[in-house]
Order: sequence, then C-alpha cells, then structure tokens
Amino acid sequence: MPFVDLETGGIARCLAQIADRPDDHVEAFFEVATQESARGVCGRMTSESRTEKGLAVRLVRGGESWLASSDGISPEIFGRAVARVARARPGAVAPSPRPLSAGDVDAASGEDLETFAVAVEAAIASRHASFPVHWDLRRHRRWSRTLGSLLAPEQQHESYYSCVARTSWTSWGTLLLALDAAAAESVAQSLTRSFRAQRAPAPPAGPIDVVLGPAAAAVFLHEAVAHALETDTLGLAGDPEAALGVRLAADGLDVVDNPAGAPAGVRRSVDDEGLPTVRRWLLRTGVVEQPLADLRAASRSERLVPGAARRSSRHLAPVPRSTHLELLPGAASNEHLMADCGAGLLVGELSRGSLDPLSGRVELHFPWARRLEGGRLAGLTGPGRLEGVVADLLGNLRGIGAEAAPGGAGWCAKGGHRLAVWASAPALWISGFGAGS
Amino acid sequence: MSGREGARALVARLEREGNALAEVLVKRGRTRRCELGPGGPVSVLTEEAGWAVRAGGGDGSFFACGSGAPPLDAARPRASGPALRLPDAQPVPAWAPSPALEAPLAVEGEARGLILGLARELGRQLAGARVLHAVLDDGASETVLVSSRGIDCGFASRLASLRVEAVVDGQPETRSTVEVVARGAHLLRPQALVRRLADVLAVRSAGSSPVRERGEMVLAPAVGARLLAALVPLWLGPEAAVLAAALSDRHDRLGSSELSLVDDGRLAGGALESPVDGEGVPTRRLVLVEEGRYLQPLVDWRQAAQGTWKPVGCVRRAGWREVPEPGISHLHVVPDPEVAPADLVSSVARGFYLLDAVGTPRVDPGADRFALEVCGFGLVQGRARSPLARGWLCGGIGALLRGVRAVGRDLTFLPAGGMVGAPTLLLTGLEIRRAL
Repeated sequence: MPFVDLETGGIARCLAQIADRPDDHVEAFFEVATQESARGVCGRMTSESRTEKGLAVRLVRGGESWLASSDGISPEIFGRAVARVARARPGAVAPSPRPLSAGDVDAASGEDLETFAVAVEAAIASRHASFPVHWDLRRHRRWSRTLGSLLAPEQQHESYYSCVARTSWTSWGTLLLALDAAAAESVAQSLTRSFRAQRAPAPPAGPIDVVLGPAAAAVFLHEAVAHALETDTLGLAGDPEAALGVRLAADGLDVVDNPAGAPAGVRRSVDDEGLPTVRRWLLRTGVVEQPLADLRAASRSERLVPGAARRSSRHLAPVPRSTHLELLPGAASNEHLMADCGAGLLVGELSRGSLDPLSGRVELHFPWARRLEGGRLAGLTGPGRLEGVVADLLGNLRGIGAEAAPGGAGWCAKGGHRLAVWASAPALWISGFGAGS
Repeated sequence: MSGREGARALVARLEREGNALAEVLVKRGRTRRCELGPGGPVSVLTEEAGWAVRAGGGDGSFFACGSGAPPLDAARPRASGPALRLPDAQPVPAWAPSPALEAPLAVEGEARGLILGLARELGRQLAGARVLHAVLDDGASETVLVSSRGIDCGFASRLASLRVEAVVDGQPETRSTVEVVARGAHLLRPQALVRRLADVLAVRSAGSSPVRERGEMVLAPAVGARLLAALVPLWLGPEAAVLAAALSDRHDRLGSSELSLVDDGRLAGGALESPVDGEGVPTRRLVLVEEGRYLQPLVDWRQAAQGTWKPVGCVRRAGWREVPEPGISHLHVVPDPEVAPADLVSSVARGFYLLDAVGTPRVDPGADRFALEVCGFGLVQGRARSPLARGWLCGGIGALLRGVRAVGRDLTFLPAGGMVGAPTLLLTGLEIRRAL
C-alpha cells in the first residue's frame, strides 16, 4: 500500500501556494505501477518485470493547464515539480513535505502467467486443434493517489491481466480480471474459432442485421457511445454542453458509466483528478444525459459533472474517458434475439474498433462470425469488418438481450493514453450495419 | 553514483549472482510538450529516468526494468527465458556528436507560441481551416550501456516532433494529420508543415474521386515514405529475403534501376543518428537494394548467421521499458541530387501528383497487392488540373517497385517505428480507384 502514509497536510500546503486564484485547481498525482510478464512459447517463456514510480503536479487555470512529472518520488522531486508549474514564485515558501516516498509493493513471480498459457493450450487441444502460439501475458498493477490543496481522497488500486496470442494468422488479445479456468476456456474458445475461421468463407458484404454478443457489444458501446460522449470529442465540433438532451439512440438504450460498480480489481472510487467518480447516465432511454467530463470541461459549464478523468501515466495530463460501461439489459433471451433477427450475422467478439469523431462513422473488425439463417446459427465466417454512422446504428437498435456479461472492452488508445476499459453488456441486435471482409 | 558507475556496479553484482551474461542500460531524459486541443493549451515538462537489465546465460534469461536509478539489491525475475546472447564490444568508428544535441529544449513560451502561431497561420492560408489538435514534443536524453561482454558506452539523443490534425469547417471528411520530426524543436519548420497541411485540406475540400484511372504517378515524399514503411517486412529480418525473392521478376530484379534503398543508423543530421545501436554495436550505412537488385535484408549480428548477410547494429529500444529488438533507423530511398521535384511533376503528360496519404496502407506481400488511400491533383501536361479528394492508389508491390522511373532530390523522413524517408518519386504501372 504505497501511498497510505503520505503527509497529506504538507503536500496540501505546498500545493496551496501555487493555487492562488479562486478558480485554480491544483493536484499532485503519485503513482506506482508494476508489470510482470511472460513472453514466448510454452516451456520457454521469458520472465520480465517492470516497476516504476513517480509523481506529477498539475495546475489548471482558466482554459490552460501546466503539468510537471518525474520518474521518482522524493521531497526534492516534488518541490521541483511544484516550482515548475507555479505561474509566479510563491511569496512564502512552505516546506516540502517530509517524509515523502512510496512504500514497497510485493513482487509477483509471474509463474501463474506461464501456467495459464499451458492451461489454454490444453483447452485448445481438448477442442481437437493444435497450433503454435507465441504468448505475451502480463499482470498489470497500479497504485495511485491524487491529492489536492483541499482534498485528500483515498488511494486507488487496480490489478488485471492482459493476454496477447500471436499465431501464424493473427495477433489476438484480451483483458482478463483473473487467470482462472473459465478465462483459459474462454481464450481457448476464441483462438480455436479464429483458427477454424481461416478456412471459412468471407462474411457477406453490404447492409446486414447483426447480433453483437456481449463482448462485441462492449467494444461497440465503447466506440459508439463512450468515445462519442467524451467532452474532448464533443469539443472538436463545438460546445460539449450542446450534446445534453440530444437523442442519440432508440428508446430502449440505457448506458451508464459506473467506475465504482466495476469488478473488484478495477473498481474506482476516485478519478485521476482526485474527484469522486459518479454513476453517470450517458444515455437514458436513448437521450444524452451526462457526457464523460473532466475538470477542465466541467469548469466551463454548470451542467457538466467532472469525475471521469483518467490518465495512463503521470507523464500525461488527464482526459475524460469511460472506466466501466454498463448497458442495462433488455428482456430478450439470446435465442429470441437471433430468432427475431432471422438472417444476418452473430458477431461474438471484435478485435478492434475506431470512431471518426467528426463524421460519427464507426468501424469495427471481427476475427470470426456465425451466419444467422432462419433465426438459427449457421456456418462460421472468416474475419470481417462492420461500419456505419453511430446515430444511424443506435437508431436501428432492434433488441437488447437479458443477460449481461462482464468483461474487458479492451485497450483504449485514444489521444496517446493506453487505458484498460471494462464493461458489462448483454447482446444487441442492430440492423443496417455495412459489412465487408 | 553516476549512471555509468551504477550500471557497472549492477553488471558486477549480476555476475556475482551467477549470471554468465549481464547488460545494464541507464537512461535519463527531459521532454517539453505543448499541446493544443479542445480543452485548451497544456504545457508539460517531464523528467524521465529509467534502467533496464538483461541477464542470464546458456540456461535461461530474464528482463527487468524500472524507474529511477538501477537498484543493486532488487529481487530478480526467474531466468526462465531462452539462452541469452550478448554482442562483444567492437571498435566504434569516430563519431562527432551533432551540435543539435547541445541545443536547449524549447522553453514554455516558445513551444506555446509555435503551436498557437501555426494554428493562426493555417486559418490565414485556408479559409475555414482549423486545428483540431496539435502536439509539440521536444526531448533530450542520455543513455549509458554496460555489459559483461566489454561494452561500456554512452550516447546522447535529441528528438522533436510536431503533429497537427486539422479540418475544414463543415467538411468532416477533410480531417487530415501531418507530422514532422527533427533533432530539436529549433529545427522544425512549422511554416512548411502549415503549407503542406493547407494544400492537403484544400484538395480534400474541393476535390473529386475518379472511378478508375491509370497514368503516371508522382508521389510526394509523404506518400512514398508511407508505402516504404508499410513494406518494412521486405527489408527487415531473415524472412524478408524470402518475401523479396517471391516479388522479384524473372531477371531477379525487385525494383527498377532507379531504385536504391539503404538504412543508415549514422545518417548525418538524421533524427535517430547514433554511433551505436541499442546493444552497443556500431551502426553504419547498409545498402539493401542497389539499382533494383535486392542485396540483403537488414539483420543484426544474431540474425546474420542464418544467411550470408552482413550484420549491422540495428537493434532498437523504443524506451527503457521495452525489450530491444531489430528495427529500422533511417530507412530511405536514395535521392538523386540532380532531379528537382518540380521537373518530375512537369514531365507528366497525364497522371496524378499525390500529395499525401489519407489512411493506413493495406499491404499483402503474399498476394503481391497494395492499396493506399491518397489525395492530390490530376496532372495534364505537367499542370495540376483537378484536385483529387481521395482515391485508392493500388497495384502490385513488385509493379510499384519496378515502376519507379525517377527519383527527386528532396529526401524527407517521417516517423514510422524508426524514420522512413523518400524523395519525390515518378512511377508508372499503377492506378487510382474510387473504391477497392
């Protein structure tokens, strides 16, 4: 628990020296991050460990901000960072906080990573498939604490795993909360389907109805709803506040960002600006209720609520991002969704997605899909792509499944921040996707 | 303890711990960043310090890294990886550090002024154009590398980049990004970037997309470099030679006689210019393709043993957190100092002058196909006639390389996992399509 003993009073006094205007916001961000990884083929995986600690001090004044960051934690480093973001030399200098350091974190061996790879390969073999895999398995842990001149919120901790499997035909990846038997089965199933999809026919081209399985729905919502409703995206086209009250989707769509409701290990009570996270209704019955806002956007609006700021590292200024999206379930069983859909595609997972923030066009890539014929599952297809305009697709929502499944929505790389994002979503049936290979 | 002393002490400690081989890298750096986006200007000053260790022997190896100074007493990961091999120390040819290394980082006011100034200038050059996002990074670093094989060296780096994304108001489809890199912010040419961005926005705003047209193609450096970067699998690593052989013609030629390709880690004035690579092996100029003939791929000393190729110091580290791997440094088409780009444009009877790439290239060496979405102008008798908003430049990879008819003198580099450079190129045998 590296930051439970920080001398918060001394840090607050130092920060208060440079926040000398009524609307100034100043914060100190302390971070310890570790990554244990195992890379290679089963039986000969290289163990790697990465450990870093550091701090950043940021001042936000009006529409501008200043950040100073460093790969170390000490009173001297903190004092230097404070001096660098100060707009004027403070008249009376408060002493730097002492002691100021990060406590130790326990080392993880990484052996569980290789054991997991062995378990996945055994599960693949049990499906009567076999192919060489080059693994990149990582355990990610981060402890952070953000302190302000007035607030001293609690330390945040996150812990999760990433899994990348490189094969002769693809590079496949996912985020996992645990390396248990269920995760091994899930990874094995995805890789085996991707393996078999190599020889499958290409997916149909043109407009098509698509049932997105829960994992695919999570990625779609991240691109189409979360990114579309981040205040930095909305700001590209004008005033982010103008999005409030706009109908973006069909009636039945309720989407919430709820960092405090995320699974244990990635749950957040405080964002990376030191503000409490909120259960935020992004869409309520299809209408925009509250975009994802950070402090800078909220300071220019009386209607935007901060608390959604995230940063992938102390070296980058926080940006508004989702943490844990929840799509509220509907009433239809997955079988009913497929039966009602009739003809189309069932897309169980997506390998990547992107949103053009100005045109609203979203593009999604899938590693395999199943054809739907007469409302029933038919043959496997090879990899393909789905596209469309967000407002059209969300307006074409035909059904929402009743069973939400939690999981990783993947890595989000927007704006140079590499952030793990999470979701809980049921299946979705949407018509009017453009499909192609 | 200095970085070098710390690295030496850690190598000695790792050897005492039973590691037959050990290598320690220590890096310190500073970066000034100025960013302009929808949230307003952001000024960042970063101090970075990190270390990385590779150690082990014939039985196994591990990699560890961390921030701050290298710790002597930290717990090490299990040596579970493949046997470790490290290069022997080699004499490093004389190298004079570039004066650019001594230049101070841009101060906050300069960086901010540059970003805000180019945003104003873009609006002045093209009505309705506005910057969506602009980032200036100006960084300097010093690296020390010590190994149990006798390598004990230090080198400095300096790199600045300017990336600007802009759009014409009311036309979201014109959104375009331009990036330039130099050894220090003082060497960036923001006016040239603004002119290029304004040109691209203008053609994307006013242009059309032909259904399908053939003709001569003049590729601006940005387009040629993007294609070259997408073809890195043909130039890097032992497998590259197999791919290149499959794409060569029956006369064993991969490219036209106008095409020569080199990678040069010591390129004078290059953004990544360095006397040694990420393992302390001397860098040098290596010819990969000479007048159309494929000579060899870019390989490090380990990979060279798999063929009859000459090794070169080409192991790169993206940062202290990353495991070193072979990579390009300054991969480029050799320019012809006698040929002005304007002469290539004026020589075209009918064809296109392609200014910039719009999307990511699609390259399939196995199927000998490529496609790259581009924008530019239609050319008739050497004059620009009709703006091309977007179209797919496509054809065979072999046809692309053997279709190079002339190269200009304006070699320009783009960042692409290393630096990739091309001058203006004149090509035949390709076509522009509205859709694939």
